[in-house]
Amino acid sequence: MSDLDRAIEQLRACRLIPESQVRELCYKARELLIEEGNVVSVDAPVTICGDIHGQFHDLMELFRVGGDVPDTNYLFMGDFVDRGFYSLESFLLLLCLKVRYPDRITLIRGNHESRQITTVYGFYDECIRKYGSANVWRYCCEVFDYLALGAIVLGASSELEPTSNTGLSSMPIDDSELETEVLNSSGEVTSSTYRARQRSSSDASTDSRNISPPRDISAAPGQAAAPSRTGAPGTGASGDGNGSAVTSRTGAVLCVHGGLSPLIDSVDKIRLIDRKQEVPHEGAMCDLLWSDPDEIEGWGLSPRGAGFLFGGDIVKQFNHLNGLSLVARAHQLVMEGYKEMFDGGIVTVWSAPNYCYRCGNVAAILELGEDTSGGGTVARSNGEYGRSNGIVNNRVVSPGRRYRVFEAAAQDTRGMPAKKPVADYFL
Amino acid sequence: MASHIPNLNTLRRGRGRGRGIGRTEETGLSSGKDRIVQGTDNDASVSRLSAVELGYLEDAYAAALTPAGSATRRLPIINRGTYARTTAIDQLVARFLGPSSPENTHKKQIISLGAGSDTRVFRLLSSRQTPDFIYHELDFAVNTTDKIRAIRSAPILQRALGIDSSKVSEKDTGVTVSVAGDALHSPSYHVHPVDLRSLSTCSDPAGALPGVDTGLPTLLISECCLVYLSPTEAEQVVAFFTQRLFGHGHAVSGSRDSLQEVQSNGASLGLILYEPIRPNDAFGRTMVSNLAARGIQLKTLPRYASLEAQRGRFRDQGFGDGQAAADIEFIWKRWVNEDEKERVAGLEMLDEMEEWQLLARHYCIAWGWRERDNALAFAGWKDLEAQQGE
Repeated sequence: MSDLDRAIEQLRACRLIPESQVRELCYKARELLIEEGNVVSVDAPVTICGDIHGQFHDLMELFRVGGDVPDTNYLFMGDFVDRGFYSLESFLLLLCLKVRYPDRITLIRGNHESRQITTVYGFYDECIRKYGSANVWRYCCEVFDYLALGAIVLGASSELEPTSNTGLSSMPIDDSELETEVLNSSGEVTSSTYRARQRSSSDASTDSRNISPPRDISAAPGQAAAPSRTGAPGTGASGDGNGSAVTSRTGAVLCVHGGLSPLIDSVDKIRLIDRKQEVPHEGAMCDLLWSDPDEIEGWGLSPRGAGFLFGGDIVKQFNHLNGLSLVARAHQLVMEGYKEMFDGGIVTVWSAPNYCYRCGNVAAILELGEDTSGGGTVARSNGEYGRSNGIVNNRVVSPGRRYRVFEAAAQDTRGMPAKKPVADYFL
Repeated sequence: MASHIPNLNTLRRGRGRGRGIGRTEETGLSSGKDRIVQGTDNDASVSRLSAVELGYLEDAYAAALTPAGSATRRLPIINRGTYARTTAIDQLVARFLGPSSPENTHKKQIISLGAGSDTRVFRLLSSRQTPDFIYHELDFAVNTTDKIRAIRSAPILQRALGIDSSKVSEKDTGVTVSVAGDALHSPSYHVHPVDLRSLSTCSDPAGALPGVDTGLPTLLISECCLVYLSPTEAEQVVAFFTQRLFGHGHAVSGSRDSLQEVQSNGASLGLILYEPIRPNDAFGRTMVSNLAARGIQLKTLPRYASLEAQRGRFRDQGFGDGQAAADIEFIWKRWVNEDEKERVAGLEMLDEMEEWQLLARHYCIAWGWRERDNALAFAGWKDLEAQQGE
């Protein structure tokens, strides 16, 4: 067993590795990350995850629900550290996995992967407390500077393979394909939506049907509401009405931590940023890590004091110009674990259940399946796709999306340190 | 008894901490749950000091009333919440007291329930030209003892109380402290060691709280205090003030034959509450269970779970002339002006907007009043913007 495998084993048990090993790990990780572009290309199938925030035991639950590395191909959209009690264990484990299985796990940078933010929100203090000096914090911050700013997922299928391990009827409606599916942490389908299979004559209507959750999970927080809705929350992607349905023409998926920037109108522009620095207070790099979608038109000022708010028109235009079918991002707590907006043009994925041990939310991960239809036509990631033959193909099909929703790891296994006060309230 | 009341300054000289002073047998009576509730005061003072040190609040007295060595930097959302809560109550208090000027001769009274280490009285005493108010603080003896000890050891607190260290006799300072070190009396400031639950059964209301002027327009403040009592107990505490100490809230007095009670029928009375609300959504359920894990029970929360329930509480409990409530998110949005918002937002990066909204929606400020004798003591509250709905 290599030192690295031993380190992984140790960190999985939530035990820290020696400082010298952290230094070595961070050095190796930097060598690896420096070779990655600002926008990493990732092939489907992939499981996309949002904020972790040092909630180590919930990260373990995430791996239980989503599958282990390297069996599952993971993409983490940043905010590994701060707020939770185990930022070190969480980040170092992810980093070990990255070094051990570089092609099976992708890490991109969140706004908390920053010297300034970590001194306010806990990671710095945790390093001092657990290692007795700021050395490990410095090693980690140097790694932060090399993390990619985004990722492009290619080759995702427009249609989900229905989950088979449910006793419920999941027969597709005629001439429809499974577009989204929501599963609980036991792998049971709690809701799903279908869309019309692409035909030249079909309109843009969305067929949807709901599947009632099994009785024993119907009272689970965050899921109780889902089955009563028409379709999964926020799923509004419409069927595509333009011709040839032979090969999938699923657009690429852009993954960033925060969102879009008024200074960035193409994915290629992201590639031009000099990213190897502390997160700046303004500018394109800052915006990608700090911005939020909002129900506005155009751009707005962010209440966070960094980045911008951007509306549905901005997302539609950006996706169209870049041949994207979806922007996946994290950054915002959503009580249901995920939230689609703007006709499914953007999705927020949040992977820290009961955030800060206080918020009572569930978490989610997003699985994108591989397109096995054999067409072999994969959208190019540089923004050309969808523009070349201009007249008809101005919309691309959303990928099939499977959300796995999960709750916080059980209280008794979480092992919250007793001397650290639990979540703050006003008393 | 009076001969046993020592001079505050002579006590200060002998700093040899609390031999014979302090923990009385009353402390021994406190149950474990009470001790936990008493401990919540420490939490509040640490939060206040954090907000002060980062520039959210100006409060020269915060450090002197926070236990040494417990200073901790709180997270930005907690600091913002402390800011919103404190400035909102400050505003309600300021509008109740009216402008501080020689022309304003209407003396008023404030009674702070479970005041703990609160600094408000010191801030008011130092910022107002004349002591045009009487301020009472009520708390468990263990907490009042700590506070009086803090006053003894901090010249800045003594100066705010007008204690001139060059004058040594009791007459000159006008400040007396009980022999147990748990009660303090001065012309404008009184500290009463009292378990609020004992008020409802006391036979002599005025005697229970010496120094209270039952003829003055009076404001009661409960910052996270009554919420720890059972609904019945909390209601009895309020009734003690609305019905017994300050006379019956209705024109029909219980015993017309007592001249005193008829006279005391007239005091205008207001109440400000700061409490958690909305325990029934995901955040609220988590809050209740997290606090329960620390032994903290928010006993009135299920009954007063919404803004509407809080307004109804004021209506039902003797504050018939006005009832209003707003959650802290509303207060932050609507009571803090844009310049001030910008200043506060610039103090720290507040990354967690969604979490801030969740947290801020689960605390409310509620206020209500009754007027007597056309005093219009609470006229200043009428144009404050309150939140509608649940």
